[in-house]
Amino acid sequence: MAILARLEQWKKEGKISPEQHVQLAGLSRGEPLSVYIELNVLLYAGVLAFVAGLGWTVSTWSQQLGDVIVLTVLSILLAASFWYCFSRASAWSPAETPAPNPIFDYVLYLGSLVWTLELGYIERRFHLLPGQWDLYLLATAVLFFVLAYRFDNRLVLSLGLSSLAGWFGLTISHWTAGQDDAYRRYALVYCLLVGAAGALLQRRGLKPHFFGTYLNIAANVLFWAVLSGVENQHGYGLWLLALLIACGASLAWGLTRRQFVFVAYATVYGYVGFSMLLLRNINSESAVLSYFVVSAVAMLALLVQIGRRFGRQA
Amino acid sequence: MRLYSFSSEETLRARRLLTDWGGGGYLSKTQYQLLEQETISDLRTINIFLRLVLFLFTLVGVGATTGLFFVLSRPSEQAAGVFFLIFSAVCYAAAEVAVCQARLYRFGIEEALAACSVGFFCAGMQATFFIRYSAKPDAAQFLVPAAGAILSLWIWRRFGFSYAFPAAMMFILFLPQHWTSSREAQDVIVAAIYAALLLGVAAARSRHRFDYLEEAYSLAEALLWLGIYLIINLQLSLLDMSAQWWRGTPAASEFARPFYWGTWVLIWCVPPIVLMRGIRQKDRFVMAVGAITAVLTLVTNKPYLGWHRHTWDPMLLGILLTGVAVFLRRWLARGPGGVRYGFTAARLLEKDKQWVGVGSAGLGLLSPGSLTPNPQTSSSDFKFGGGESGGGGASSEF
Repeated sequence: MAILARLEQWKKEGKISPEQHVQLAGLSRGEPLSVYIELNVLLYAGVLAFVAGLGWTVSTWSQQLGDVIVLTVLSILLAASFWYCFSRASAWSPAETPAPNPIFDYVLYLGSLVWTLELGYIERRFHLLPGQWDLYLLATAVLFFVLAYRFDNRLVLSLGLSSLAGWFGLTISHWTAGQDDAYRRYALVYCLLVGAAGALLQRRGLKPHFFGTYLNIAANVLFWAVLSGVENQHGYGLWLLALLIACGASLAWGLTRRQFVFVAYATVYGYVGFSMLLLRNINSESAVLSYFVVSAVAMLALLVQIGRRFGRQA
Repeated sequence: MRLYSFSSEETLRARRLLTDWGGGGYLSKTQYQLLEQETISDLRTINIFLRLVLFLFTLVGVGATTGLFFVLSRPSEQAAGVFFLIFSAVCYAAAEVAVCQARLYRFGIEEALAACSVGFFCAGMQATFFIRYSAKPDAAQFLVPAAGAILSLWIWRRFGFSYAFPAAMMFILFLPQHWTSSREAQDVIVAAIYAALLLGVAAARSRHRFDYLEEAYSLAEALLWLGIYLIINLQLSLLDMSAQWWRGTPAASEFARPFYWGTWVLIWCVPPIVLMRGIRQKDRFVMAVGAITAVLTLVTNKPYLGWHRHTWDPMLLGILLTGVAVFLRRWLARGPGGVRYGFTAARLLEKDKQWVGVGSAGLGLLSPGSLTPNPQTSSSDFKFGGGESGGGGASSEF
């Protein structure tokens, strides 16, 4: 039975009211059709194209334009964006807060991107913090976190998290020896910090809907770090143990919270890690292929069981 | 012809709509629970993430099994082709069994098996009937992409996998290479095939207004419009010559002048036609393609005309896009009840908000890569570029 006939039947049976019938039949016919997502995409693309052009223009013409003009234009854009956001924002609340108007989030995003542009320009031209570029990233991350929490903006939160990751990365890039190991350790510190901060803020009720973003980023960075440790020829035992624990935790979290993306992380990253370990000293083509046949079938059986018990969608 | 019955598919669609309506507050919790009981389907579905992982592991398993067979048996090239054809049949049969017996629906496993059947079939035809390294190209070799296209279309119709349709379109791209070496003729042939398919899809979708097939036909039509546009826009097909493109050197010399300027006229004609059709049909996918092609026309117009591109062109485009979005939103909102001509800028369903939330989190991580301030180098020369990683986003050129 098609949906319109089904709605008619539900109305006759008194399961939905005539008003609901009119509304739901309209929705299923696309009357009215909401272009909410399309307009958001247009705004996002517009801001991105604008800032890309701005960056391109500044990098191409900065010497002809001069520092004063470049910095004045960037500062005016930055000030206007932030003035708009602070003047229009509703009172702060720890709970999820809708944007005061549809373009608000994108004005904040524009301001944040212009900030990174201006900061990059200033350092390039005036070398205010020679050799300590990472401090800019740390300051930027802090600013973005403040803005994200003040204005309830996921776009800027993601910018903050990636700036923080950049700060960790740049800090290590100053070192010369043992970089891989240092990157791994700092990646672990990063995900521990991000995960713990996300959990703490969620427990405190501070924008708890941001927790998913924290957790996804922390999980992916953690798995990449652990996998790179498992790839080591020597001293991979602890990393293997860490992979086991991470997979178990991710699986348990995904199943108990019904967030199956974490089940997917556990199975894919776990499979890659164990395959790297088991196949590292095997040169026989047939042995490798046999492994993939057996392991893929085993994974399929496991996932089908998980799907049967937990993952039914409709 | 379709593997799933009309009632099964409609039941699943009703269930999805119920979830949307329940989340959007159009139904009370009691109503939702009551109606949900009436939309229980006999098909086995699975969460999207598990579906992706199952797809991946099925591909690994099938690929490894096939590889193992060839490693152990070491057949000749022609025999390998025959085996590929057999594997293709086995995979296809397994996909059918998975649906008919196990009642799998978008479960990942049957999808990967169907995908493997197409790949194996093409590989089998190539190895069995056409010697790969022959000095003389075989004109009949077009049968390989033709078979791939037909099998993909069959799978699209039979299983309803939406990505099988673009796969068929990709196979069609390779068809005219075996018929003519003329670039113009190749473009015209592909565009003509896409146009013929478009007519077929447009005719077929009129019979499926408001049923579960409408979305599949809508997507197919949108992809065909996009395909036609990408074929006729010679600046996009010449993207491999990116240096030439950025310098704004006209590519007219590559083509006959009437053909080149004919396509220039067409790239200005297609977007409004597509956009109007999408608006009249209230078709989200077709409207999106109309908007995308309009932007692409604006972006490629200068290189088409051989004009120089300016660094501020993206800024103007950004202002235009933002302006259009703001104007449309305000114009729609000022209509009675926030609706004009059956369109609204308001969010009607909770899932729209979730999509925007997830998109924001993901795009926030990816988008600002080009803007990242880069680590300072010891060079005193002023050059704005060459960052490595992280910060306000991610990586590379300023």
